[in-house]
Amino acid sequence: MSVHEQFAEDLALYALGALAGPEKEALEQHLEVCSPCQSELRQLQSDATLLALSATGPVPPPRSRERLLRAIARERRAPVTVPKRSVWWLLAPYAVSAGLIVVAGFLWNQSRSLNRTLANLRERHSAMEKQLRVAQDLVNTLTSPESKQITLAPVKALPQPQGKAYYLSSSGHLILLANNLAPLPPGKVYELWLIPSTGSPIPAGLFQPDSRGTATVVNPPLPVGVEAKAFAITIEPTGGSPAPTSQPIMLGAAG
Amino acid sequence: MSGPQVRFVKSSNPSPRLFSYITRGSFALMMADTTAVPSDGGLVSAIASGDESAMGQLYDRYSAVVYSIALRVLGDAGMAEDLLQEVFMQLWRNPMAFDSSRGPLAPWLVAVTRNRAIDWLRKRRPETPVADVASFEPDLASKTEFARSVGKIRAMLDRMPPTQRDVLEMAYFEGLTHSEIAARTGQPLGTVKTRIRSGLLTLRTALTP
Repeated sequence: MSVHEQFAEDLALYALGALAGPEKEALEQHLEVCSPCQSELRQLQSDATLLALSATGPVPPPRSRERLLRAIARERRAPVTVPKRSVWWLLAPYAVSAGLIVVAGFLWNQSRSLNRTLANLRERHSAMEKQLRVAQDLVNTLTSPESKQITLAPVKALPQPQGKAYYLSSSGHLILLANNLAPLPPGKVYELWLIPSTGSPIPAGLFQPDSRGTATVVNPPLPVGVEAKAFAITIEPTGGSPAPTSQPIMLGAAG
Repeated sequence: MSGPQVRFVKSSNPSPRLFSYITRGSFALMMADTTAVPSDGGLVSAIASGDESAMGQLYDRYSAVVYSIALRVLGDAGMAEDLLQEVFMQLWRNPMAFDSSRGPLAPWLVAVTRNRAIDWLRKRRPETPVADVASFEPDLASKTEFARSVGKIRAMLDRMPPTQRDVLEMAYFEGLTHSEIAARTGQPLGTVKTRIRSGLLTLRTALTP
């Protein structure tokens, strides 16, 4: 097993909720960076669940069910939605996902033999769940108190173009919303750069503005935990460059 | 799908566990092709859309497990009923608290119940959120399969030396920390740690053929 031996026993205690004090803190710090220990922890938590199941046998009195159903009837509510600060298009994956579930439920009632249709739906459902995850990441990046919001302004005195980057270093999630961008000459592309506190600029996505000069970059592949000093945009040859080859046209310091 | 000004240039990759969950757990009806049983994920989604009957179905599936654990920790039938109510009400009020991409529902409910029960027992405020839980062997949908699994787990616990079983149960069902267990049993701290780990590893083998 590739679990770090010095943490092996503490992991078991942690899985049972029995670790406390500085040992707990040290383990939690280690878990943040050690994936073998994370997966061993999950396994130990499953083992703890087996322990829990040893207690099964008693059943609640029938009145408990009535009590619960009465209580939820009193708290009848509209479908759960995403937090208020989100904009309407963030709701779209939820709505489609919910719609898909309704469709799936209908099919179940209709016939149990529509296995092929169901397989197809499963695939779509999985795609929706993926989008849901993306939407959750988006909401988190936009609303997290740790999220840094950086306004990028043109380097020269061109008043219109503007970019806003939302960056959550702890998860490596980044969103850029830009508008009023000038159209690009053929063979060129805009490239976003994360300029770390130390080291060279890191490529953070390629984009083309649409006909209205608007462009978006969502969660480009970035290493996790990089503190950003600034974000910049350059014009690069199509396909992008590993390092900037031109002066930035937009730049924003991360506050 | 997306709004007119939004282009998803590159989206993040979902975790591989998400896929494994979808293929494994979300559509549990594959297991029983004669009766179309809604999956846990399907029921939670229905609950999220305000479906009260889905709540009833989920209650029928898991109330005994939740109640048993509450009763084992709290030792009082009235409190166990109250906790059962609270756990399901919490799911009704905030179904999104359960994140299906991080594991199946059953072990999540078990962990939520145990943690809340310990909070009640120790009269403290709600503490640890429930983290990821790996897959979960006994199939709670099948009563006979489940009863057989519980039998094996109990047999394994019965075969353990009492000193080992006791430290496991003190930690899990009484919510004692390792130093509290050491103080109560008079065992050295290191011995408590070793016994807890080897006890859990032994338990792991209970369901392997």
